[in-house]
Amino acid sequence: MRTRDSAVKQAFPAALPVMAGYVVLGIPCGILGTQAGMSAAQIALMSLLLYSGAGQYLIASMWLAASPMASIVLSVSLVNSRQTLYAAAMARFCRRTGRRLSTLFAATLTDESFGVNLARFTSGEPWSVREATLVNLFAQGAWVLANVAGAALGAVLPVPTALASFAMTSIFICLLCIQRFDRPARAAALSAAAGVCLCKLLGWTGPAILAGALLGIVASLLTRGGEVS
Amino acid sequence: MSWGQFAWVAGLCAVTIFASRVAPLFLLKGRSLPPRLAAALDAIPPAAFAALVANDLFDVGAFRAADWRAFIPWIAAAPVAVVALRTRSLLWCIVTGVGCYGALLLA
Repeated sequence: MRTRDSAVKQAFPAALPVMAGYVVLGIPCGILGTQAGMSAAQIALMSLLLYSGAGQYLIASMWLAASPMASIVLSVSLVNSRQTLYAAAMARFCRRTGRRLSTLFAATLTDESFGVNLARFTSGEPWSVREATLVNLFAQGAWVLANVAGAALGAVLPVPTALASFAMTSIFICLLCIQRFDRPARAAALSAAAGVCLCKLLGWTGPAILAGALLGIVASLLTRGGEVS
Repeated sequence: MSWGQFAWVAGLCAVTIFASRVAPLFLLKGRSLPPRLAAALDAIPPAAFAALVANDLFDVGAFRAADWRAFIPWIAAAPVAVVALRTRSLLWCIVTGVGCYGALLLA
């Protein structure tokens, strides 16, 4: 049985690179939040409750674009629904863990902490849900602090909105580029992009992201055809 | 953003995000996903990220204005894609993207 101290000693170095990333990611996110008219308290609360980079950037930028609230919630939910895959992949490591700790672990999983923890779980070295949860919480701590720092900075520094929101575009480009592009994934990406451009040409700016993404998913399922039933 | 609006947007998003992250742990209990659902979930990341990138880059108004500045996001996106493929690092992608975009804004 390892003590809490040694769990922290193992988790902290594993969490460090993720934490550094979240500081760089969180500051422009906080700045964009203030530009969308959120207070520092709202930004801090959102970082605690949602803890989702893509989600929080999306809320701020869609709010700035005066999108309807239902459209914001649906788009954010769709973008984050990819995280069901992470919990599904982690389920096998949580079989002998209590309900409460497993829930906390899964609720604080992100793209990055999933990557770090999966590598540790499969490395063969001792790694438990307790250390993994600590990694998640260290990373979330860095995320919340960076967002609050961004909110403070955004209040005094005139950062162009376009520049802060291009940080988000860069994240999305990265997350798109690192996908495994088999045939269904190519169909999904191309149809989704085409769908968005078409919607915007027609002037349907609000639902463009959601409509494009749904079109992409349908196109991807169609290319699979009889492969899955 | 008023606290009322914040409560709706952040509250509903928090609920769906929490459900996405936690539900599979208890619904699956180690079983695997039904294949049709797994295929749809597999398609979400490429579809969602392509839609988000297209939405950010494709600006109808800027194209109609025929100003070279309309292409700043496109020009800055190219090095970000190269860095993404090489490093797979969100951190370096943000540094590259914001750096290139900032430099082009000043140009």
